[in-house]
Amino acid sequence: MDQALSLLGGLKRPLINIFLAFHIVAITCWCIPIDLPGIGVVRKLVRPYFLWSGLFQSWDMFAPSPKSANTYLEAQILYKDGTREVFTLPRMELLGLSDKFFKERYRKFTDNLVDERFDPMLPDVARHIARTKSSPQNPVKLVVLVFNFSFIAPGPDGSLVSQPWDQHVLLGYGVRPEDLR
Amino acid sequence: MVRRFVRAWNQFFFAEQSPLPIALFRIFFGVMVMATLVQLRSDWLNWYGVHSWVTNSTARALEPGTRLNLFAILPQDDHGINALFWVAIGSAILLTVGLFTRINSVLVFLCLASIQQRNLYITHGGDTFLRLAGFFLMFAPAGAALSLDRLIRRWRGREGAGVHPRSPWAQRMIQIQLSLVYLVTFLVKIKGAPWLHGSALFYIYHLDELRRFPIPAWSLRPTVLRFETWLALGLEFCLGVLIWVRRLKYPILGLGVGLHLWLDYSLNIPLFQWDILSAYILFVDPDDIVRVWKWVAGMLARETSNLPAVKADGNSTAAN
Repeated sequence: MDQALSLLGGLKRPLINIFLAFHIVAITCWCIPIDLPGIGVVRKLVRPYFLWSGLFQSWDMFAPSPKSANTYLEAQILYKDGTREVFTLPRMELLGLSDKFFKERYRKFTDNLVDERFDPMLPDVARHIARTKSSPQNPVKLVVLVFNFSFIAPGPDGSLVSQPWDQHVLLGYGVRPEDLR
Repeated sequence: MVRRFVRAWNQFFFAEQSPLPIALFRIFFGVMVMATLVQLRSDWLNWYGVHSWVTNSTARALEPGTRLNLFAILPQDDHGINALFWVAIGSAILLTVGLFTRINSVLVFLCLASIQQRNLYITHGGDTFLRLAGFFLMFAPAGAALSLDRLIRRWRGREGAGVHPRSPWAQRMIQIQLSLVYLVTFLVKIKGAPWLHGSALFYIYHLDELRRFPIPAWSLRPTVLRFETWLALGLEFCLGVLIWVRRLKYPILGLGVGLHLWLDYSLNIPLFQWDILSAYILFVDPDDIVRVWKWVAGMLARETSNLPAVKADGNSTAAN
């Protein structure tokens, strides 16, 4: 027993060294924005471990180019009785200071929703809105998710030049009764 | 050459030092985790509930692979999901005060990782940094100082008045992680024309959704904006690389604090700046922390001794 314990104690430092060397190399290769063949191999090898442990990361805030448009997402809602409503996801610029703090996650969420990689989220969003807005007497029949954007650019004198607001339909979703359960 | 490297490696990761910086980081980290949870509270079920904006099945389809995610094993009802919130906040409180520190550091990491894995579409860089720092914090002697665990050990006679020095290898990993955050951000940004041309901050400052407090008009002039953009880039490089140069460390940390405070004032990305700033303490030498603490304590003692003393009958009288 004592022998086993002293053997474990002796192994502690080498094990920590392996842990350190592995993580330094793996994390650096994972996040450094250089595409060399060796780095790609390391990324591929460590991917399952990084996804499992939560060590995956990317540091691209405002990079390589910051967003160049003001944006927001709205849902055009059609009810069973034919009435219509426009629901807008919280827009930070219209909120007070404390709501800006608590609702800021909606900004990030909206940014991701318009990324086509995440299109499978759109029906979930439509269903969520339909559930929130429906009543037993007047359920929601249709939800249309519309992305609104206005490009910004510096004018010749450096002042702000905003383009007119434009729209892009992300999804039209016919609500089924089972969506409202 | 190899011998020198091994010596430097051992010195860097294993030369024992006071656990004060990592203990202070534990406190800051715990506070930031609590703040994050409180921020999410009002929309907890909207983000993570059974009928949330993104359902568990969609999130798992979008982010496949085996992941450390308690939501996958929780009963899929809102009670279970609410319970996870209270477990997370409870363990964050216990971690902050340093009670059952090791167990709670593991619990906090598990909860943080799960919360983020469940809905990655609302997380910002500050959340990611907390998750990564939380991973290495599990291995650190975070309860060795400034903790209830230590008080209990002293009360039981297992420890004396002095804090034992410890190997800082886990602390070093968090430091390396932080400097990588800055370095990688710098490297990604210099791939973008707006950062090289100096116009990036024009766009950032004019995004309505990001605005917090008003920015002075002079700072929006093209020349100033260009200077600010390049300054931010330069600072990120310094915080990623030159922070390891002992003589430059404190001035760079000071500039970093200034940068983050300015960003916190001007941009509405709540908690991000503070998540990052919480780890700056790890770069401060333990002796300097003690020196600052003594200076603050001395100041407080002087201020207290100057306060008028209050007699039992309620009449105040000057202490001196």
